[in-house]
Amino acid sequence: MSELRENEQKTMLTLEKLGGRSPVAQIVKTSGLAHAAVMRAALSLSTKKLLQIHEQKQTTIALSEEGKQHAEKGLPERRSIRALIKLGGEATVEETVNEAALEEDFTTIASGWLHRKNWVTMKGNMLKTSGEPPMEVDEKLLSLLQEKGSLIIESISKEMKSAAYVLKKRKLIEMDEKTLRELELTDTGWKLVKRGIKAVEEVSQLTPELILSKKWQKVKLRKFDVTAPGPVVYPGKIHPMQEIIQMVREAFLEMGFTEIRGSIVQTAFWNFDALFQPQDHPAREMMDTFYLAQPKEGRLPRKNFVDAVAKTHENGWITGSRGWQYKWGPQEAKKLIMRTHTTAVTIHYLAEHREPPVKVFSVDRIYRNERLDYKHLAELYQIEGIIMDKNVTLRDLIGTLKEFYLKLGLKRVEFWPSYFPYTEPSAQATAYVPELKTWIELCGMGIFRPEVVAPFGIKHPVLAWGGGLERLVMLKLGVDDIRFLYKNDLGWIRRSPVCR
Amino acid sequence: MPVIVLNKNRFCSFIGRSITVEEMAKWLPWLGTSLEETGPDYVKIEFNPNRIDFSSYAGVARAFCGLLEWKTGLPKYKVQKGKIVVNVDSTVSNVRPHILGAVIRNIRLDVDSIAELMEMQEDLHWGIGRDRKKASIGVHNLDRVQTPFTYTTGDPNTAKFVPLDKTTEMSLKEILEEHEKGKAYRYLVDWAPRYPLLIDRKGRVLSMPPIINGELTRVDSLTQNLFIDVTGPDINALARSMNVLVTALADMGGSVESVRVKYPDHTVVSPDLTAQQMKLRISYANKLLGLKLSESQAVRSLRKCRLDAKKVGKGVLEVSIPAYRTDILHEVDLVEEVAIGYGYFRLKPTKPTTVTTGKQHKAEEMANHVRQIMIGLGFTEVMNFILTNEVVHYKKMRKNISKMVRLANPVSTEYSIAREDLLPSLMKNLADNRHESYPQRIFEVSDVIKIKEKAETRSERRLHVAAVSSHPTANFTEIKSYTEALLTNLGLTGWKIKEATPPSFLEGRVAAIHVRQKKIGILGEIHPEVLNNFELENPTSAFEIDLEGNL
Repeated sequence: MSELRENEQKTMLTLEKLGGRSPVAQIVKTSGLAHAAVMRAALSLSTKKLLQIHEQKQTTIALSEEGKQHAEKGLPERRSIRALIKLGGEATVEETVNEAALEEDFTTIASGWLHRKNWVTMKGNMLKTSGEPPMEVDEKLLSLLQEKGSLIIESISKEMKSAAYVLKKRKLIEMDEKTLRELELTDTGWKLVKRGIKAVEEVSQLTPELILSKKWQKVKLRKFDVTAPGPVVYPGKIHPMQEIIQMVREAFLEMGFTEIRGSIVQTAFWNFDALFQPQDHPAREMMDTFYLAQPKEGRLPRKNFVDAVAKTHENGWITGSRGWQYKWGPQEAKKLIMRTHTTAVTIHYLAEHREPPVKVFSVDRIYRNERLDYKHLAELYQIEGIIMDKNVTLRDLIGTLKEFYLKLGLKRVEFWPSYFPYTEPSAQATAYVPELKTWIELCGMGIFRPEVVAPFGIKHPVLAWGGGLERLVMLKLGVDDIRFLYKNDLGWIRRSPVCR
Repeated sequence: MPVIVLNKNRFCSFIGRSITVEEMAKWLPWLGTSLEETGPDYVKIEFNPNRIDFSSYAGVARAFCGLLEWKTGLPKYKVQKGKIVVNVDSTVSNVRPHILGAVIRNIRLDVDSIAELMEMQEDLHWGIGRDRKKASIGVHNLDRVQTPFTYTTGDPNTAKFVPLDKTTEMSLKEILEEHEKGKAYRYLVDWAPRYPLLIDRKGRVLSMPPIINGELTRVDSLTQNLFIDVTGPDINALARSMNVLVTALADMGGSVESVRVKYPDHTVVSPDLTAQQMKLRISYANKLLGLKLSESQAVRSLRKCRLDAKKVGKGVLEVSIPAYRTDILHEVDLVEEVAIGYGYFRLKPTKPTTVTTGKQHKAEEMANHVRQIMIGLGFTEVMNFILTNEVVHYKKMRKNISKMVRLANPVSTEYSIAREDLLPSLMKNLADNRHESYPQRIFEVSDVIKIKEKAETRSERRLHVAAVSSHPTANFTEIKSYTEALLTNLGLTGWKIKEATPPSFLEGRVAAIHVRQKKIGILGEIHPEVLNNFELENPTSAFEIDLEGNL
C-alpha cells in the first residue's frame, strides 16, 4: 500500500475519532482541514478502499418573497373568500377583489384558485359561496414554513410534499437541492487505523527559512502529484489580427516602401474629386459613404489645385480627356466624410511630394456605409501601395505585386483586366489558396489616370494597388465570420497560438 | 455591380459557333469581367460599370469574338433614314427637357430576348441613367400607335392612361401615389406642375417618362417593330444609353431607322452611330505597359477589342471607337484596350529599378514600442472600431456629451459617432468577456478623433494608449505602477502625477499625468457606478495616455 499523505492521515484519524462514520461537515469541523482538502483526501482514500463515501440528496424548501407576503396576509384566494362572505356570500369578481383589497397582480390568480379549489360557484361574473372553507394543506405548509424558516422535503408528509410542489409552481416557495456526503471507514480502513497512523508534519512549500536553517533536511517535503492539472495562466500578447498587420507592414518595409498616415476624416475633395470621381458617381451617395453631421464641412486646398480639378471634371482641362461633361461645384467637395479608401491620403501626399521616386504604403482604417454581417464591416483595414517614378510600367506593377504577395505566402497570383474610376490601365489580382483549393480576389490595381495626376502637377506614372486586409486575416486565422475579428473575444485571443 | 447570366446555347447563337461552358469561363475574365458562377449550361459574370455594353448577349459576344480573333475591327451599323417625327412641346423644358428616339424594324423577339431587353434597360438606367435621374428608356410596340408622336406634359389629375401591368386607367397623380414604380421614382417629377408624357397622334399615351410605360405599347413575342425613347436632362447620357441599346438590338437582327426630334427651335436626328475618333501614340502605350509593340502589333491588339486603327503619322494611330463604347475618355483608355487585346496573361512581370529604403511612420513605430512594453507587463491587446455610440462612450462612463465627430447617416445606432477616448471601448470589452477568467488585463493602442476647428477636416486623429486591469484586488497603486513602467520604458522623464476629478473614476483614487505642464493622460480606479453600468463585478483600474505629443 502506498504511503498516505498528511491530509489523508488526518482524515482517517478524525473519522476514527468520530466512530467510523460521519458527515463531511463534521469531519471538517473536528479536523480543522478545509472542506476541499477533506474531499480530496476522501476521494483518494476511497480509491484505496480505505473508506466509503455515502451520498444522499437533501432538498430544503423555504418561502420566497411573495410566499412570505402570503404567509402573513393569507393566500389571495383565502382573502377573497373572506371578502365574499363579508359581502353576504354573493358578489361580482370586481367587488370581491376590491373588498379584499388585493394588489393588482393577484386578482386573476385569486379568481383562478377560487375556482380550482371549488370554493365558489361562478355564474357569469357572479361569485357565490356557502361558507368559509377550512384551512387546506398548502396553507398549513405556508404557516409551518413561516414558523420554521425552512424544512427538509424528504422529512415531511406525502400531502405536504405535493402541496410543496404546487406552491413551487406558484413561485411561493424556493427549493434548494444539496448532496450530503458521509464518510465511513471500511474494514481495511479500520485495520489500518487500529494498527496506528502517526501523523508526520509535511511541508509543501520550500521557504527561505527552511533553506537557510537547513531544516529542509529534517522535515518531510510533500511529494506532488506531478500529473495533476495546474491553474491556467495566459501570456500578454498582441491581437491575432495585429500580427498579420505587422506581417504586411514588414513586407512593405523590406521592399523599401515608406509608411504614410493621414486623416481618417476627409473632405469629399480628396476622397473623390481629386481621384476624378464625378460628383454624381454612385459611390458618393449616402448609401455607400458615411457623411458627417458634425463637423459638416471642411476646407478645400489651394485654389490652383481646386480649379484644375474642377476643369478636369468639366471638360478634361489640359489633360487631353473629354472630362465628365458636367458643372463641378465646390459645395459637394467640401463635405466631410469618413474616408472610403486610403487613396484619399495617397493623392494628398503625392500632391505634396512630386519629386520621384516616391514609394509609399499604408495599412489603415477605411469606412463603408454597410450593415454588419458575416461578410461586411462598416469599418475595416485597407492595404495600399504606391510607386511613382520615371518610366515605371504596368509590368513593373505586376512584378512588384508578385513579390509582395509571395512575401505573404501566396505563391500563385494572376492578374486580370478590371476597372477603377481613377486608374487606367486597371487590373485585379487573384491568388490561389491551396488550403481552400480556391482563387480569391486580392486587390485592385492600376496606373493613376492623367485626369488624376495632372491637376496636382505629378509628371510621372503612379502605380497603385489596394485591397482589403480582413480577407487575408480570415484566411490566415481560419475565421469565417468577419465580425469575429473585432469581437475581442478574450478566450480566443488568449488561446490562439502566437505561432501558426 | 451588374451581372449577366449567359446561357451557353443562346450565347453560341450570338457568336455563331459552338463552344463549351469551360471555354466561356476561360476567356470571359480576360475581357475584364469577373466569373461569379458556372453551371452545367450557363456562365454568370459580373461586369464593370464602364462596360455597360456587356449588359446584353450581343455586347459580350462582340467582345468575345474579337478577343479570340473570330471577328475583329469596328462592327458596322447602318442607320436608315426614317420618316417618324417626335414633336417636343415647350412645357417639358422645365421638368425633363430632352428626348431622343429610334425605330427598330423587323426584329424577332422571344421570351428570352424580351427578358434580356428588360434587364439591359435596368442596367442602363443604373449605369448611365444614375437611377433614371440622367436618362431613362422606354421600349414600345410601334405598331400599336400612330405617328407623329409628341413629347409633352400632362395634368396630374386629368391626364389618364393604363400603366404597364395594370388593367384600369389611372391619373398621373394616382400612378405616383399608388404604382410601385411611381412611388419609387416620383421624386424625379412630383415637384413640377405638369408631368412628362409621350403621346401618339391620337393622344394615346406611350409612356410617362421616367416612371412607366403604357400598357398599350407593351412589347411581346409577336412584336415586330419597336419605337425607343430616351428622355432626361443630360443629352450626352441620352445618346450613350440610346447607342448601347440600339447597337444591341441591331445585333439581335433588327434594322435601325432614324427619328427626327423637332424642338420649337431646332431639330435633332437620332440615333447617331458614327464612330468616335481618337489618336493614340504607340510610344505612350509602350511606355505605360512596359512593352515594345510595333505599329502592326498595336493595330492588331486594338482590332481584337473591336476598334479600328490606321496610321496617321510616325508612331501615331487614328483609332475609331464604336458608338456603344461609352467609356473612352482619354488616350490612356486606348492604352488599356491595347493591353486587353494583347492579353493581360502575356504581360510578364518585371521589377521596377526604383531603389529606396523602407521607413515606418513614427506613430506606428511608437505604437509598436507601446505594444512591446504592455505585453511585457502581461496585458493582452484588443482592437476596437473607432465608431461607437453615445451610450457607451459618455452615458455609461458618467461623462457629459461633448462636441465629437458625428455621422449624418449611421447604419445603426450602435455606430453613430467617432470615439474621443479608448477607455470606453475597453470597458465594453470587459463587459463582453465576463465569462472569462480573471485577472483580465487588456490594452489598446490606436486612434481617436477629436474636433479641431483649425484643421482642414475640422478634426484630428490622435494616437492613444489605454489599459484596464480588472480583478478582485485591482486598485490605484497597481495601475500607477503599470503606468509608470510604461512611461519610463518609453523614455519619458519629468512627468508629474497630479490630483484630478474625471467623472469616470473614483474621486481621490485618480490622477492626471502631466508632461511639461501639459496633461497627457489619466489613471485611477474606475467609478463603481461605471462598473455597474457595464455590469462588471470586479474592481477595475485603468489608464489612458495621449501619445501624439511624444511622437
